[in-house]
Amino acid sequence: MTTVTNRPASAGPSAPKKALIERLSIITGLLLGIVGAVLAWYLARTFLPVNTDGSYIKTRMDQEVFIAMIGWFVGFMTGIGALIGPFRWLLGKDLTHDETLFYAGKDQGVKRYFRYTTDHKVVGIQYLVITMVIFFVGGVLAMLIRTNLGHAGGNWLQPQTYNTVVGLHGITMVVGAIIMITGPFGNFIMPIMIGARDMAFPRLNALSFWLVVAAVPPLLSSIWLGGIPTGWSAYNPLENQAPPGMDGFIMAICIFAISTMVAGANITATAVKMRAKGMTWNRTPIFIYGVVASVALALPVFPVFFLSQVLSGLDRATGSTFFDVRGGGSPWLYENLFWIMGHPEVYVILIPALAALMEMAPVFTRRPLFSFNLAIMGIAGISGLSVLVWAHHLYVSGWAPLLNGPFMLTTELISIPTGMLFLVLIGTLWRGRVWITLPTAAIYAVLFNFTIGGITGIYLSDVSADAALHGSIFVTAHFHYTLMGAGLTSAIGALVYWFPKMTGRMFDKKLGWTAFWITQVGFNIAFMGMFMVGLAGQPRRVGAISAFYDKGNSITTMGAYIIMTGMLVLLHGVVVSWVWGTKATQNPWFAKSLEWSVAYPVPLENFDVLPVVTEDAYGYGKAQS
Amino acid sequence: MSVDHAHTAHHEHPDAVGSRNRLGVVLILVADIAFALSVLFVYFYLRQQNVNGLWLPKASDTAAATTPVAVAGAWYVTIIAALGLVTHRYALLGARAKNQTQLKLGSLLALVASVVALAYQVILMNGTSFTITMGAYASCYFLIAGLNVMHLLFTVFIALGNWNRSRLGIYVADHWHVDIVNVWWIWMTVSSLFGAFALSFK
Amino acid sequence: MSELETTQRPSWWKRSDAKKAIFLWVIFTAIIGYTASIIQSRAMGSPASENMSNTINMVKIFTWAAAPVAGLVAALTITTLLGQRHFGDNPPPEAEHEIRNSPRVAATWVVVSTLLCLFAVIYGMVLVQADENKLRTANPINIDVTGQQWVWNFKYVDNGGAQSADLYLPVNKPVLFHVTSTDVMHSFWIVQMGIKVDANPGYVTETGTTPNKIGVYDLRCAELCGLYHAYMQKKVHVVSQADYDAWVQNQGGNA
Repeated sequence: MTTVTNRPASAGPSAPKKALIERLSIITGLLLGIVGAVLAWYLARTFLPVNTDGSYIKTRMDQEVFIAMIGWFVGFMTGIGALIGPFRWLLGKDLTHDETLFYAGKDQGVKRYFRYTTDHKVVGIQYLVITMVIFFVGGVLAMLIRTNLGHAGGNWLQPQTYNTVVGLHGITMVVGAIIMITGPFGNFIMPIMIGARDMAFPRLNALSFWLVVAAVPPLLSSIWLGGIPTGWSAYNPLENQAPPGMDGFIMAICIFAISTMVAGANITATAVKMRAKGMTWNRTPIFIYGVVASVALALPVFPVFFLSQVLSGLDRATGSTFFDVRGGGSPWLYENLFWIMGHPEVYVILIPALAALMEMAPVFTRRPLFSFNLAIMGIAGISGLSVLVWAHHLYVSGWAPLLNGPFMLTTELISIPTGMLFLVLIGTLWRGRVWITLPTAAIYAVLFNFTIGGITGIYLSDVSADAALHGSIFVTAHFHYTLMGAGLTSAIGALVYWFPKMTGRMFDKKLGWTAFWITQVGFNIAFMGMFMVGLAGQPRRVGAISAFYDKGNSITTMGAYIIMTGMLVLLHGVVVSWVWGTKATQNPWFAKSLEWSVAYPVPLENFDVLPVVTEDAYGYGKAQS
Repeated sequence: MSVDHAHTAHHEHPDAVGSRNRLGVVLILVADIAFALSVLFVYFYLRQQNVNGLWLPKASDTAAATTPVAVAGAWYVTIIAALGLVTHRYALLGARAKNQTQLKLGSLLALVASVVALAYQVILMNGTSFTITMGAYASCYFLIAGLNVMHLLFTVFIALGNWNRSRLGIYVADHWHVDIVNVWWIWMTVSSLFGAFALSFK
Repeated sequence: MSELETTQRPSWWKRSDAKKAIFLWVIFTAIIGYTASIIQSRAMGSPASENMSNTINMVKIFTWAAAPVAGLVAALTITTLLGQRHFGDNPPPEAEHEIRNSPRVAATWVVVSTLLCLFAVIYGMVLVQADENKLRTANPINIDVTGQQWVWNFKYVDNGGAQSADLYLPVNKPVLFHVTSTDVMHSFWIVQMGIKVDANPGYVTETGTTPNKIGVYDLRCAELCGLYHAYMQKKVHVVSQADYDAWVQNQGGNA
């Protein structure tokens, strides 16, 4: 393994030791990653035995692709410096104080953003940028889909290309949405908000981010390896049939699942152990609850996703038969494993998004959060129930018809804690002084979109209505209302809210409002049209439509182009504001949570003197006499 | 401006650092436990479904019937892992009692146990009468054994580090590392027990 | 804090913002319920089986049950916007109260949402059970359906095992489909009859209905199944019993 080369250097005297750390960056990561991939591929090509046992699906090509990708993974993580810590531990030469400071990115300027930097603020910015890149890619793919469906007949894209575009759009957007709150704001804002100097495990923090980066090349390589014609759910046995591009998908999911696990453990431990003196659970901001619930929920469910992809990969590369009925496997097993992750995952996305809104609502209404306890109950209730609802994705699979009733019950019960969060938000707006800003607008927009997304979910949760609607594009419209209309809109609100703390500048108001209105209008046009054709019976994931659905699809495509315009304005706004925006004051929103008590740029360890908390962050409003 | 306060991290009490690290490891173990339980789910689901009667394929013209492995082997792995746990526990008690000799000896024994368990598990996998392609049971067997191998590889790494660090006298002052490694040893033993338990149902 | 609220203020319904909200609530509920249910029933088309008419009815009833909820959210949020808005870079003065909780409101909210939820569950269960019972008590025509990339095959088991790539059904006769697949997963979906079940390799799944209108309907694959998933469609012909018998005999079966 390439890691061995590190050892003589790191075991040497102290000057070259430090030099090695200094030399590692994304460039060495990419170099070693490529070298590792090519070397592994060459070795596999040369030494792998020829496949003679005539199993159903195993191919040498898949084995070579997997081995090359593992080579990339090991090479990249070595080159970026992820292995130095563990090997130094093994050798009993723990990082010195200076080295730890170097890792934290001390005095490195812009370079620290391209290194294995442990400072949570650097990691937060890195996450913010990669989230936007991921959304950009996913958005381009979405536009390809909508352009293809712009008129009846479709087929502007080849069917295989179309299916790949659908799958890649799905997985990039899901990954982007999972990290969009807990990545940038969970890392940058959360430790300051709880009055900590850094995350509990700074090196794991860097690891979680660079794992996301390491997952990108395998995923993108699938485009050149035949694509992923399965959608993001990658159902077997279709996954077995797919070209080697599928291996890239599997590898990317596995790496991303590890990243999620690492981040989950880190963020949870930080919130539990690192809160400032006096910050009891009653005084902990609701955003912290949301972030912790999200990552703590991901902790037990993503390994199941990981397992499902490991088994798919084994089926493809070694000829095992976990999902292949010709060898005693079961496609239902895959569906169960996938959705045990798949449904909690949407709450992994939504809970922190709504928590961010609940955090902002008191600031912009100048009154306390309405019913903090109800908010916590809602978050806990959603998290708890969400692991018990997965089989509503399997109502029509024939998997276990007798379980449809119980799963309908759990699914619909989840509307109760969700309703609590609605009450908290509305209650906070009620009789407040509504300060009209972009984050405020995001709260209203989310309440609007999420009402639609939530109610359409009730139709889908009903077994007999689901028999008509399952697999139709109605479902697609439903989850876009929840994940995009509610989730992404919250994230944009949160971005504008915390932008001054993260970049030192205010978000450009004019561009922000323009983008907001264009995207919201376009969004509702696009997905209302999609609801219509879905009710009328258009299946999901089809690359060609009959003339009957022409009108609805044209409307949706039009709406999609409007969204695109709005998103480009937003992106422009981010760049313009970040570079040329008006300098922000320390606390532009006059908020009371701890992150606003430090100036920009936030110093390396956040606080000169650790704060002591005596009350919660929602002490707005004055007592009525 | 932060320079003056950069040292504060070092003023943290080792117990605070230890308890934070312990929580982190337990949280990561939550993920690994979920993974191992899902593996059990895969095993029992496929066994119960027995799709096309191919959980254990009967003899055909081209292939002999798949016969399940003797489950004793899986239990031996668990027993060796448990021995590793006991020896590591012995080392931990040594560290707590400031007995460096006991710490070093226990760590070394634990390292040996992990290597032996790993080697034995690999031998078992090579000794099966079937390959991974021969039916759902065969696939599941290699999944469970493979999970053991992964866990044991990791255990060897940790046990090696733990022994090396004990040898270098790093645990004279504080020994929360040794405590945390103990947590891992417990889970290692339990996960191997899960596997042996599943394989007891053919 | 809640004591403050209850003892010192006029009854909540006498306050002007509450009046506004209630007024808007009624209006929004009517508008949302009416437009949504009209649009939904138009989009879902005319049903060709009782399953589908039940489903359409249920969607409408759910919509009318959900309209007050959506209407309430809309009314409350819009009322807050009608009140004390504030623009500019500096914050508005603090709100004139610091109410942190209202157990009464919270309890009412939770109880009402629980009742709505239970209504949806019970109604749903009753409907599923009714469909199930109908299927089990009737004496249906059995048809084996096999999906493969990217066509459907039908075997008319009760008609001498005639096989065809076309789906013909007699009107007003219960039919039970035994669905499987030879390769990947498909999903057997007759749009206007509101039934759907996955076609899994290695398993046989069942669904059934009673077509109640002569006509031509749509059969689609509802599970992504590879290259030509979009084209895995077929027409379903619901014909009179006499036409059905003739057609089956034509296919080499017996009536």
